Amino acid sequence: MQIVIVGNGVAGMEAALVVRARMPEAEITIVSEESEHFFSRTALMWVVCGQLDYPDIEPLERDVYARQRFRRVRARAVGLDAEARTLKLVGDLPDLPFDSLLIACGSRPRPGPWPGSTLGGVGHFVTMQDLEWLEAELHGGPAKAGPPNSGGHLAHTTEDSPYLPRTVSAVARGASSRRPCVVGGGLIGIEAVEVMHAAGLRPRFFIREEWFWPIAMDSKESTWIAERMREHGVDVQLEEGLECFEADDAGNVVAVKSDRGERYEVDLAVIAIGVVPNTDWLKGSAVKLDAGGGIVVDEGLESSVPGVFAAGDCASVRWFEGSRRPEQLWYTGREQGRIAGKRLMGDAALYARGAWYNSAKLFDIEYTTVGLVNMNLEGEQNFYFEERGSVRSTNRVVVADGRVVGFNFLGRRWDHEVLLRFIAERRSLEYTLEHLHEAAFDTEFVPALSIPPEARRAPLSGPAPSGVREPITPPTSAASRVASQGAR
Amino acid sequence: MDLQGQNGLVSTYRQSWRNRGLAGVLVSALLVTFYLVLYFEDKLEKVIHMRPLTDFATSVGLRNRWYLYGLLYCVLMIVGGALYLRKHGNSRYNQLRIATNVTVQVLFGFLLPFIMPLFNGPELYVSYFWPLKYDYFYPHTLQDLPLYFAAYTVLGSLLLAPIMAYFFGKRWYCSWVCGCGALANTFGDPWRHLTSKSTRAWRFEKWSIYLVLGLVLLTTALVGMDFLVGAQHPTFHRLVAGEHWDDWSLKYLYGLVVGAILAGVVGTGLYPILGPRVWCRNFCPMAAFLGLVGKFGRFRIRVKPGMCISCGNCSTYCEMGIDVRSYAQSDQSFTRASCVGCGMCAHVCPRGVLKLSNAPRGQADKKRQGLTVVDF
Ligand SMILES: Cc1cc2nc3c(=O)[nH]c(=O)nc-3n(C[C@H](O)[C@H](O)[C@H](O)COP(=O)(O)OP(=O)(O)OC[C@H]3O[C@@H](n4cnc5c(N)ncnc54)[C@H](O)[C@@H]3O)c2cc1C
Ligand code: SF4
Ligand code: SF4
Repeated sequence: MQIVIVGNGVAGMEAALVVRARMPEAEITIVSEESEHFFSRTALMWVVCGQLDYPDIEPLERDVYARQRFRRVRARAVGLDAEARTLKLVGDLPDLPFDSLLIACGSRPRPGPWPGSTLGGVGHFVTMQDLEWLEAELHGGPAKAGPPNSGGHLAHTTEDSPYLPRTVSAVARGASSRRPCVVGGGLIGIEAVEVMHAAGLRPRFFIREEWFWPIAMDSKESTWIAERMREHGVDVQLEEGLECFEADDAGNVVAVKSDRGERYEVDLAVIAIGVVPNTDWLKGSAVKLDAGGGIVVDEGLESSVPGVFAAGDCASVRWFEGSRRPEQLWYTGREQGRIAGKRLMGDAALYARGAWYNSAKLFDIEYTTVGLVNMNLEGEQNFYFEERGSVRSTNRVVVADGRVVGFNFLGRRWDHEVLLRFIAERRSLEYTLEHLHEAAFDTEFVPALSIPPEARRAPLSGPAPSGVREPITPPTSAASRVASQGAR
Repeated sequence: MDLQGQNGLVSTYRQSWRNRGLAGVLVSALLVTFYLVLYFEDKLEKVIHMRPLTDFATSVGLRNRWYLYGLLYCVLMIVGGALYLRKHGNSRYNQLRIATNVTVQVLFGFLLPFIMPLFNGPELYVSYFWPLKYDYFYPHTLQDLPLYFAAYTVLGSLLLAPIMAYFFGKRWYCSWVCGCGALANTFGDPWRHLTSKSTRAWRFEKWSIYLVLGLVLLTTALVGMDFLVGAQHPTFHRLVAGEHWDDWSLKYLYGLVVGAILAGVVGTGLYPILGPRVWCRNFCPMAAFLGLVGKFGRFRIRVKPGMCISCGNCSTYCEMGIDVRSYAQSDQSFTRASCVGCGMCAHVCPRGVLKLSNAPRGQADKKRQGLTVVDF
């Protein structure tokens, strides 16, 4: 059996391992343009900081290709022939025939819409090549050795690939960046800001919205994060978008103009306004894409072409409220990869869209979110408690229909499994606050959260404005349950 | 304000002295030389006709070179501990742990044994136990110890230490009390990422540490036998417990190889090359013993399923070379005999995935099968 996988990210690699575990004889070919080894994209920021080295962010030992007998093709896939069942590679590399194919080609950065977005010294923070570029701009190069065979794909790529190396403006200037900026107030944006701060600089952070990350935070929560960023020396520019970038004669960025008419001198800019499915190379093929470019898949992750599957950031899946878009998360990518692996072997398997949860770290503030938060539910109410003792934290519980449906926490660590249980058991706010300590996951000796009785009875506020979502009706399925995929 | 999680690790790979650069190698060379002089001063004396450490120690009123060593140890730990807390002090666990380490070392590792003899008391080390302090189980030593202390050290080694390890893991000793661990976690902390995570290193560790444990058991048993029958069997006595160095007795060899070379010269001298827990990880019989007990005990590292982003911070900063990520990314809570419970993996995890725990095991430790599905 010939199995071809495009992408050695978490989704592609997980699928390959699932197949190999059960099919010792299958021929598994992994096509990956970006990098020699599977690496954790989520960990890029620590490499720039110097906190981790390149091998540290590789979740599997480097000999995994040899041990698992995966064939590696370091080249760009440029198309798909659904009739002939072959994957087309760039240039005159021979086509790859397949019995089943997994497309796990991830995301590429959303390009900046402003004039000058492709100048020298302007870039993104998504790919391995972005990492190398940012290290060169901020530190003059990698701390130790860079990625192995970093240019291994350059003979086999195309002009429009997201994995091309960027020009480093620091080289022309003869000095590392002094005045960097980041555009776009989301998770990747704040990571880029942290990386610059760790380099001892004072980055400027342009956020178009009224507060940082409104899709996930309400204004009180976000105010704390902005405060913390400012304490660390970040110039947080709220409600300020861009007009254009200005260049010097060499074509390197020297300033940005904001939509408030201000001009700021900068010598480095990271555009972090989201990612889009990395599927340009599939346009015009038989594989159906949605409006945003995501590969339309059914519940078994199969695309419109039988035997061709998609998983991870590039797969457009159906969400609980009926809409369709990719899930750009590590754990969902991993899970989709596992399901896709089974499908590649011809097994029946369904991808059961799990409840939403995630955690992150915003500078030094822990963040956990579970369930329906900032969803603008009909009849939604929010309980909010801010703790300012030896621990500072914000704690928000979303209530709809007289039961808890979501949690948003900053400053402490929480066990999302317990929180999901509260939701599944349709618990009341009262019960949940009473039992909240069961979900605590703080490190040892951290004093427990205590919400005084009067705070528990404080009036609730309306829906947290997300500013981006139409109101949705809360899902009212009577049968609430927690089940695990394995049990299904 | 208490914030959990790491800060101050950001420059790890950008400082060459922490990455086997020239300065690191020089520090290592200096440490190795120091330990060689410390342990082999009497041999050195035959060549250079002076005893540099002893002479210096007596000239400053420290009586002998071991007290000088004890004092230096305290100084390095206090300075290293302060630097450690500047980096990782935003965690209560770290604050309490390092404060305990330094207190134990200064009081029981230096002051008490230094002061007691001034009042004609015995020189006792209450924070060290057999099999780390192997000579406390030699009958001759036991005989000379005050009775209360002999009882304390025997019960401490055979009852207190393993019982504590059952309930709290070996961390109660290796990360809170023991001077070797304490030096590694303070002075040695800048090099903690150098501990090898390779499978080969793990294989070596499993052999070497249980080999030393076997050796200490054998040595203790034979020296005990020698106490009973040595007088009748002079050859046996010489081979097992001969005091003169060219007897090459088991007792002498164990002290030389394990006590001096592995614990001192290699264990501490090579901090900047192999990471700070070389001794604890590969050779310490106490760690082996308590680790085995801990394997059946309550302490483990709980993994919050699904949350791990495979970033590698935990594995990189584990001073014992445990590939924590491999457990975390497969949603598996775990107990590893080598884990000293320093807490660093939980501390540096940017997604709050890990938690050190002594609580009785429950549902939460089960390996999860897939995504949690909740129908709203
Ligand atoms: C800076 C940053 C931080 C993040 N932090 C988090 C986080 O904290 N938590 C979280 O849940 N998620 C986070 N994410 C998102 C997460 O990294 C992604 O959801 C996940 O990596 C997607 O994995 P994937 O396997 O779908 O695709 P990818 O990891 O993007 O892999 C795609 C692979 O496809 C290959 N490829 C693509 N096109 C072609 C082609 N035409 N030919 C050949 N090969 C091709 C590439 O070589 C690449 O290896 C972060 C993302 C970024 C950029
Ligand atoms: S596993 Fe964690 S607690 Fe145990 S030794 Fe390693 S870093 Fe320390
Ligand atoms: S457990 Fe935490 S530190 Fe370790 S790899 Fe996972 S996310 Fe990273």
